[in-house]
Amino acid sequence: MSSIKEKFNQISPSEFFYSNRDLAGFSNPTRSLYTAVRELVENALDACDQKGILPDVRLIIKAVDPEKPDPKPYILTVKDNGPGIDSKYVPLAFGTILYGSKFGLKQARGMFGLGATMAILYGQITTNKPVIVKSSTDGKIQDEFEILLDIQKNKPIIVKHKTKEISKQGLSVSICLEGDYSKAGTKIRDYVYETSLITPYATITFDDPKGEKFHHPRFVKDIPPPPTIIRPHPHGIDVERIRRMIVESLFEIPNIDDAMIEKVRKDLGLSKKNLSFTGIMEKARKKWKTLPRQVRVVISLMSFLKMDFEKLNKIRIEDIDVPHKKLFYWDFGDSQSKSVDMDPESLYYNQLTHTVQGEPLTTFLTKRFQRVGPTTAIKFAEFAKFKPEKRVGTMTNQELVHLSNSLQKFEDFMAPDSSCLAPLGAEPLEKGIKKFFNPDFTAVVQRPASAYSGFPFIIEMGIAYGGEIKSGGPHVYRFANRIPLLYDEGSDVVLKVVNDADWGRYKVKGEPPFVIVSHICSTRIPYKTAGKENVADRPEIERELRLALQLLSRKLAAYMSKRGQAEMAKKRSNLYAKYIPMIAEFCTELAGKKKEPNYKKILEEVNPIESKKTVEEEKPIENK
Amino acid sequence: MKTSKSKELSKKAKEKQKNVLEMLKSHGAKIYDDLDNGRFPKFSIPSRSVSNIVYDKKLRQYILGNNSALRSAKNSAQLRSFTQLMWLAFFANRLTQEKKSSTLRDVYYSSQAFAVEFEDQSESDNIIVDLEAISSKPREDFHIFPEERSSIFGDLNIEYTIPGYEGKTMNLSNHPDGYAIGPSLTTAELVDTSAEIVIAVEKGGLFTRFVEEQIDKKFKSIIINTGGQAPRSTRTLLKRLHDELGLPVIILTDGDVYGEHIAMVIKSGSANAAHLRELTVPDAKWVGVWATDIEKYKLPTIPMTESDIKRCHDLLKDPRYEGGIWKKELDVFLRIKRKAELEAFSKYGLTNITDKYLPQKIELAKSL
Repeated sequence: MSSIKEKFNQISPSEFFYSNRDLAGFSNPTRSLYTAVRELVENALDACDQKGILPDVRLIIKAVDPEKPDPKPYILTVKDNGPGIDSKYVPLAFGTILYGSKFGLKQARGMFGLGATMAILYGQITTNKPVIVKSSTDGKIQDEFEILLDIQKNKPIIVKHKTKEISKQGLSVSICLEGDYSKAGTKIRDYVYETSLITPYATITFDDPKGEKFHHPRFVKDIPPPPTIIRPHPHGIDVERIRRMIVESLFEIPNIDDAMIEKVRKDLGLSKKNLSFTGIMEKARKKWKTLPRQVRVVISLMSFLKMDFEKLNKIRIEDIDVPHKKLFYWDFGDSQSKSVDMDPESLYYNQLTHTVQGEPLTTFLTKRFQRVGPTTAIKFAEFAKFKPEKRVGTMTNQELVHLSNSLQKFEDFMAPDSSCLAPLGAEPLEKGIKKFFNPDFTAVVQRPASAYSGFPFIIEMGIAYGGEIKSGGPHVYRFANRIPLLYDEGSDVVLKVVNDADWGRYKVKGEPPFVIVSHICSTRIPYKTAGKENVADRPEIERELRLALQLLSRKLAAYMSKRGQAEMAKKRSNLYAKYIPMIAEFCTELAGKKKEPNYKKILEEVNPIESKKTVEEEKPIENK
Repeated sequence: MKTSKSKELSKKAKEKQKNVLEMLKSHGAKIYDDLDNGRFPKFSIPSRSVSNIVYDKKLRQYILGNNSALRSAKNSAQLRSFTQLMWLAFFANRLTQEKKSSTLRDVYYSSQAFAVEFEDQSESDNIIVDLEAISSKPREDFHIFPEERSSIFGDLNIEYTIPGYEGKTMNLSNHPDGYAIGPSLTTAELVDTSAEIVIAVEKGGLFTRFVEEQIDKKFKSIIINTGGQAPRSTRTLLKRLHDELGLPVIILTDGDVYGEHIAMVIKSGSANAAHLRELTVPDAKWVGVWATDIEKYKLPTIPMTESDIKRCHDLLKDPRYEGGIWKKELDVFLRIKRKAELEAFSKYGLTNITDKYLPQKIELAKSL
């Protein structure tokens, strides 16, 4: 039994991902090339977003040997103008799996910075080439690393490191990997194109292996307000998460080293003086109210140990056994473990047990969760049938499960804070849609924040009709946290909602030239698969999508009926333009005349205002 | 004598042509002026809806009432038919000037050369009726003819007026199969005849028998096969034979309600052509086969169908069937609920109808 466990433990995260790489989107050369591009580009954009830098991202894909048939090795480079990574952290960030800076609860493209390392790992597996990372945090000095991953040990191997002077800050990551551009090309170009639509404040350039350049300059100068990092919402957690939060909330027994003793002395005003045990206790009682918690804990320990500073220096606290009211310590002098009894009547006893048992439930709720105030916390305790002052550290497994379930069920928590979300905003989205599709009609909506399972989300949606849009619509462009979703659209909730709509009701018929852009922002997008390509149909999200689509559809219907009228008028005008000259021709011969009558006046009279004009006049109304 | 008459006749044909052309020109000129002055051209067409078809007792035919519809080029819904009608007038003008004839089908196809669209022939046929209604002239005046199926036989001299045959004469008893009644015959001058009566029969079979049995000689008659409901050209010819040559017209049809109505249409026109006059022979007489004949001659019969009976009731509401022989025979049909064809007389021998029945009916006609 134990040997199996040991074996299992020996698999490092790197090894785990190596054997399960299709989970992360590295299943074949086509998909892998696409996923690698995505991960690196998204990291670059996230880095810029976090520092409020207008991103300039350059993607370069080059075949190592252009003559070879696909699949073959490619060099994939992504450069950005972001903050760069401190040279200390570069090997860790790019040479270990599960190392990242994006662990907080806020909206970002990637969650843990995992993908980039996966791409590097995949590159190393297929081509055995190191990743080349060039980073400059100050725009003066650039560190250049060549790093390999030690898969078994999950550790970076620095192959080369040099520095040079440069003039631009930012990060450049270059990996060599097996890919199939002839198959992945369309998707990658679509990805770059759609990314520039949903990231209108970024300039994205793509040099493809065939020598083509795709340049998408930014057309919006303002970065949308960055999201803030927030505490979790009670609805959005499970038992495991609570357990970890409780561990974090437990007050550690301070390590009583020289520095700590020095601090206690200082706080008691005894830096110079050496007092006896009783003297110290006396002094502490007087100063108790001004003492910080750590110092109080040390004093409490001393009260049971009955030791002065000199003795205290020679022991190490092992355990505080609250149920048995015993204090265990290691005596360096005797080299053995010893224990003393603790008097439960003593005030110092309370101090210690509180420290070990953690916060009361109400404090735990108000301090560690978002949108929970003292009143709500007490109400919740009542609801869950916990005493409000119940110490979270004393909860049994059963109680923890009950706590977790109750948190899910309690309905009086306020809706999750959406300040951790970073929607694009209706205006930039509309600008993007107009620029990319040049439609006759555009309408955009940003729904108010909503939540599913405690995770806040915001739906942004745009609809565009006519103009340069191809027929055969609706063409659906799906985005989640500013990432285009290109694969697996069949099972996506957005498509489900779009397909459910009865477009006939909105006067959209046949194969309309018609685009829908949907953007879901959330701290956690409920992807169906690890490949992050399709969003699951959570009822709350589905509902918001429906509402957004209905609103836009109604606007579209209003436009369509106006357009219908304009088209009718145009048709009518065309009828006159077609038939009046014919009538003129026939009556000229009938009347025996040579010259045709001057019918221009009539045609001018019936020629209505150009339909395009009518439509443009309506636009300001539609987009309110 | 003959030359002077022929000259006079051709003058008459020219007069008619001139009338048509002038009428078309005046319409064209009005529309031209409208367009030239920045006005939307419009004109009114007598309404041809059922409510506007009334029976004129004096004329003894159906005519259109006073209702008329305005057709304007400003109404986009009418623009297309307005243009079609203008084209038709334009096309009729060319046909008349060039003395070329065309069929209804020709018209439909000719339109395509001018990018004037007709959905199908019925649409173009309808526009032709519009032109007739506006001008009160039958389409034949514009040189537009239906497909021919009726024929004529007998001692009648005619002189053609159509281009290429002008002045050429023909005797219509020269060919035993008879002569098709087409545009050249309808427009030909009727020079002279020895006949004293016109016998119109409904069926080709009987027409052939009459020729074989020399009915034309025996009864000094001109025989006409109407081929069922008489086409307009045939009705025009019948009218001319009656009016111009002073010949009485008798009609012989099957002994059923449809036969009776064939006779009525020759006599007083159809509702479909209520916009036209000059197509009726009010003095024409229906001599058989009557419902009463079925009983009288003990003819083999067929039972009437439901639609026959319904037709009877419909016709009884028609003012023309209000009295006389017309109502009486309908009543008998409804009573016996049986009908008999002309061929039924063959029961008594193939020539029974010509030897016995016809002479009796010609004699009877004098007293009708």
